[in-house]
Amino acid sequence: MRYICSICGYVYDEEKEGVPFSGLPDTWVCPLCRAAKSLFAPERQPETASAPVTPALSRETNVPDEAPELLSPLVLSALCSNLARGCEKQYKEEEAALFQEIADYFAAAAPASQDDSGGLAGLLQDDLDRGYPAVHGAARELGDRGTQRVCVWGEKVTMILNSLAQRYRAEGPSFLKYTQIWVCSVCGFVFVGNEPPELCPVCKVPAWKFDKIEGRASK
Amino acid sequence: MKTQIAVRNLRLCTKDCLCLYVCPTGASDTENSVIDTEKCIGCGVCAGACPSGAISMVPLEYPPQQKKDGHLAALSFALAGNKARQEAAARKLADEAPDNESYRLMTAIARSVRLVNEDLLRESGYMLPQSGNAHELLRRLAENPPSADFPADAARKLLERIPDNDHSR
Repeated sequence: MRYICSICGYVYDEEKEGVPFSGLPDTWVCPLCRAAKSLFAPERQPETASAPVTPALSRETNVPDEAPELLSPLVLSALCSNLARGCEKQYKEEEAALFQEIADYFAAAAPASQDDSGGLAGLLQDDLDRGYPAVHGAARELGDRGTQRVCVWGEKVTMILNSLAQRYRAEGPSFLKYTQIWVCSVCGFVFVGNEPPELCPVCKVPAWKFDKIEGRASK
Repeated sequence: MKTQIAVRNLRLCTKDCLCLYVCPTGASDTENSVIDTEKCIGCGVCAGACPSGAISMVPLEYPPQQKKDGHLAALSFALAGNKARQEAAARKLADEAPDNESYRLMTAIARSVRLVNEDLLRESGYMLPQSGNAHELLRRLAENPPSADFPADAARKLLERIPDNDHSR
C-alpha cells in the first residue's frame, strides 16, 4: 500500500520502507515538506476516464456583486496590498507605495479580533470544510482555471496552517523551540525547519523566495 | 512610441556583457547595472542576446483584465472575509504571545493568511492595477472616504497615474 502526502505528493511506499504506515508514530512528518502524518491519504486507484465537464453558462461581469467599499477593512487591506504587488511586478514603485499606504490604513482601521487560538483553528477548519469546496466547485463548473489554481494552493496552505494550529493547541509551543519558521513569500506555505526547502512544495519557487520569521526584538 | 522597456534581473545576470555590445543607445551600460529606462528604446535585442536570460521586456501597456463570473467572485469574497478574520486573530495572538515561539508561529500564520488572501482577491477581479474594478474601488474611496484620516490623496494620485484598461479604450 502507498500513502500520498496531500501537500507535496511525496509517496510513502510501505513495501519499500518496510514499516506499515499505521506503525509510524503520530509525530512522524513528511520527509519532504514536514506535513503532519494526518495529511497523508492512501493512494487511490486511477479512475476510469470520466466524461469531460462542460462549463456551465458563465455570468461574466466586470464588477463584483457587492459594492467593494463594503468589504471588511482587512479584506480591503489585502486587496490593496495585492494591487501594490501588482505594481511592483510592473516596476511601478511609486504606485506600489501608494497602494501600500491605503492597505496600511485599512490594516490599522480593522477592529480588534475577538477570536482565541481555538477560534483561529475553527476558522481554518471552516475554510477546508465549506469555503474551498464551494469556491473550487463553482470554479470547476465554470472552467475558471485561475480560481482553481488559487484553490489548489490556498487549500494546501490552509491544511498546513490548520495542522500547525492544532498541534500548537495540543502540545503548546515547545515543538518550535529549536527550529526556524519559514513562509513562502509567493503562496504562503509555512515550513518548520532550520533551512527552507529547496523548492516550495506548494508553488515550486526556489528556497530564496522563503522569508524567515524572526522572533520579537528583545526589549 | 516604445511599447516595452528592458529590465535586467540581477539575480540571473552573469555579466557576459552581450547587452552592452548590442544596445543601440547604450542604455544597458550603467554604473549600477540597472538599465536606463529613458535611454531604452524597447527594441528587445539585448533580451535576445543575453546568454543567461537575465533581461526581460516589460510592457508599458496591458490588455483588459480577464472577466470573472459574478457568483464565483461573491463566493471568493466570502472566503476572503474568513481569511481576514484569521489574519486578525493570528495578529492578536502574536501581540499577546507569552513566548517567542508562539509569537513566531502566529506571525507566520498572519503573514501566510495575508498572502493567500491577496492571491484569492487577485483572482476575484483585482489582478491588474489597471483594471476597471481597481479604478471603481479607488474612485469610490476618493469620493467617499471611510474616515477623515483616509489617505484620499493616494487614491486620487493612483487614479491619475494608472490608466483604466476596461473603460478608456
